[in-house]
Amino acid sequence: MTREDPVKHFFLWPAVLIVLVMAIFPLIYSLANSFMSLRLIPPRPARFVGLENYADLMVDDRFWQVVSTTSFIAFTSVTLQFVIGFAIALSLVKRVPGADFFRVSFLLPMLVAPVAVALVARQILNPTMGPLNQLTSFFGFSNLPFLTETKWALGSLIVVEIWQWTPLVILLLLAGLQSLPEDVYEAAELENASGWQQFWGITFPLMLPMSAAVYFIRVVESFKIIDTVFVMTGGGPGISTETLTLYAYQEGFKKFNLGYTSALSFMFLAVVLIISLVYLAILKPHLEKYK
Amino acid sequence: MKRVLKQTSLAVAAVLAAPAVWAECSPDFSGVEITATTQTGPYIASALQNAAKGWEAQTCGKVKVVEFPWSELYPKIVTTLASGDDAFDVIAFAPAWAPDFTPYLSEMPASYQEGEDWQDIAPVYRESLMVWNGKVLSQTMDGDVHTYTYRIDLFEDEANKAGFKEKYGYDLAIPATWTEYLDIAEYFQDNVDGVWGTAEAFRRGGQQFWFLFSHAAAYTSHPDFPGSMFFDPDTMDAQINNPGWVKGLEEYIRASKLAPPSALNFSFGEVNAAFAGGQVAQSIGWGDTGVIAADPEQSKVAGSVGSAVLPSAREVYNYKTGEWDTFDEVLNTPFMAFGGWQAAVPEMSGKKDAAWDFISYLSSPEVSGEATVTGGTGVNPYRISHTTNMERWASIFSEREAKEYLGAQQASVTADNVALDMRLPAYFSYTEILEIELSKALSGDVTPQEALDTVAAGWNELTDDLGREEQLAAYRASMGLN
Repeated sequence: MTREDPVKHFFLWPAVLIVLVMAIFPLIYSLANSFMSLRLIPPRPARFVGLENYADLMVDDRFWQVVSTTSFIAFTSVTLQFVIGFAIALSLVKRVPGADFFRVSFLLPMLVAPVAVALVARQILNPTMGPLNQLTSFFGFSNLPFLTETKWALGSLIVVEIWQWTPLVILLLLAGLQSLPEDVYEAAELENASGWQQFWGITFPLMLPMSAAVYFIRVVESFKIIDTVFVMTGGGPGISTETLTLYAYQEGFKKFNLGYTSALSFMFLAVVLIISLVYLAILKPHLEKYK
Repeated sequence: MKRVLKQTSLAVAAVLAAPAVWAECSPDFSGVEITATTQTGPYIASALQNAAKGWEAQTCGKVKVVEFPWSELYPKIVTTLASGDDAFDVIAFAPAWAPDFTPYLSEMPASYQEGEDWQDIAPVYRESLMVWNGKVLSQTMDGDVHTYTYRIDLFEDEANKAGFKEKYGYDLAIPATWTEYLDIAEYFQDNVDGVWGTAEAFRRGGQQFWFLFSHAAAYTSHPDFPGSMFFDPDTMDAQINNPGWVKGLEEYIRASKLAPPSALNFSFGEVNAAFAGGQVAQSIGWGDTGVIAADPEQSKVAGSVGSAVLPSAREVYNYKTGEWDTFDEVLNTPFMAFGGWQAAVPEMSGKKDAAWDFISYLSSPEVSGEATVTGGTGVNPYRISHTTNMERWASIFSEREAKEYLGAQQASVTADNVALDMRLPAYFSYTEILEIELSKALSGDVTPQEALDTVAAGWNELTDDLGREEQLAAYRASMGLN
């Protein structure tokens, strides 16, 4: 069979069609809906409204607040996950006693479903029956409003995110650390470089591409947070812990405002895309430097 | 030969037995299969399934129960009805959705709207929640009204009685007014170790707004102006920021301070746990609280579970005059929170006779009565007979508990001034605006008046967006004003 053989179409087109139907069609369908006024409650015939849904979103205070809240949760939790994860990965890469046990036990949280984690966290943070508040009460502190005051609630969500997803960061960074060349460190040893100098001079630069990828993946994933927030705070108090996906859920599945929800989904995509592009643009010179 | 004889004998036996089989099918729906849909079980779905078994044995028909998750149920039913599809013969749905479904529902046959069983349905359901523009379009299959629950042991403790009287100047008893309710909450909060004053749902997305409605109903459901609690029934202007509502919200916030420290995160499930766990002296909510708290396997206070109608008030805000009207007696104003699941038959169903017969069987005094005491069905009393058959409830409650529980249920649904829940197209859009502001008011970010002013503005804007005339017509129909 040559490149010009028409039989190639027989093999190519089914694959192209499957990709179109399974991947592209839902996106196009959703995009088309975003240009419509499409409400199931009360049931109304679909009506083309052009960019009206997007224009409404741009002036929707609640949309910008959830963008801000989601960004805060995502960047704060991922930054801390990265710092803690890097530190633990560095300690695990060394031949310390019990390293295998710690590797397995550190990975356990990420194997639990986020909803289950959120339920456990909600119980632990319960002001009357939760062990954490019982402990603080024992030391004379009053019950802390972990889930019912904005600052505490945001902090609690971030802590739960860190607890659950730091293991993934550890796993990926550990793989990166184990692949670093030994001879560079041996040379550094010969030059009497301290541990700190080895970290900043060798480990960190060599790990930068891997670190950038890990941070990027986690930020994108964190922007999708919904289950933890839904279970722990329901987005409250008010809408102070509401995230983009939870907002989309409320619009789509409680109010059945499908046109607006589709526009919201594409705006979500735009927000993540813009953040990604900015992130990569900032990082590009550093990555080039250590290539 | 032996085989021929055997076959002949079987055939004769079958012919002889046939009339008996036919006699068992009453009415005979042999070969008829109806499809019923509701939310994913066990709640409500298991009530349908249990009734289906009995109906199938009685009529020789078949019932297929199709369940959808709560979030999927509304769009599934509404798209089916709007497209004229006959996929469902029976739909079991939340009453708030009624405004969107009623154009597509068949009227209950007149033969079911008479007799003792019909009169046995509590009037608020029979005359209001099942009726739309003068036609009976659905059958209540679950009763939902807020009632009051209290700890008998704490209320009858001599030290508490004396201490309460000394501090407040009147006897410790079931509260008749919300003011007394808050006094009682404050007393137990301050004077009894390990017991908080009350428990209500305060969590956004955790049924919180129904608890506010219960407080506000006492001050805003004016007996001379039925249907004016949420909106002006002439103009559809939101009433939710009037002084009656503000007073209701202030007391609801006060209740949150007299509840366990975690109460801002309470949904109704936590209210039940707090009461059954012996953490609180009293609570308000649906009938589930009493049933759960009376069960020794789930409760630390079994045997001490008292029930009563909701507290109320002597003063009600008159939205026409802008004044408070005072009554000689406390005006009993229970609130029909949620209102109870409804079962209906779509006009497009090709098996309406069988479908209505199944609904009649499902809601018959015997079948529904058993459902009210069967765990997991989610069915609360809605017939008078549900609240008078003490024998049936003896398996759950002590005699006193049963008497108070059933008395509270009956007195609530038969009260003259019982307040109906809001039922409007885009119900969740309205309640979401409220929930957001309610959370802010509960956490002290805004004052009650500011919160309710924002809600009123949001509701009016939403009403205009959805079409004021259409919303007004639906609101009036839902309040039985047409």
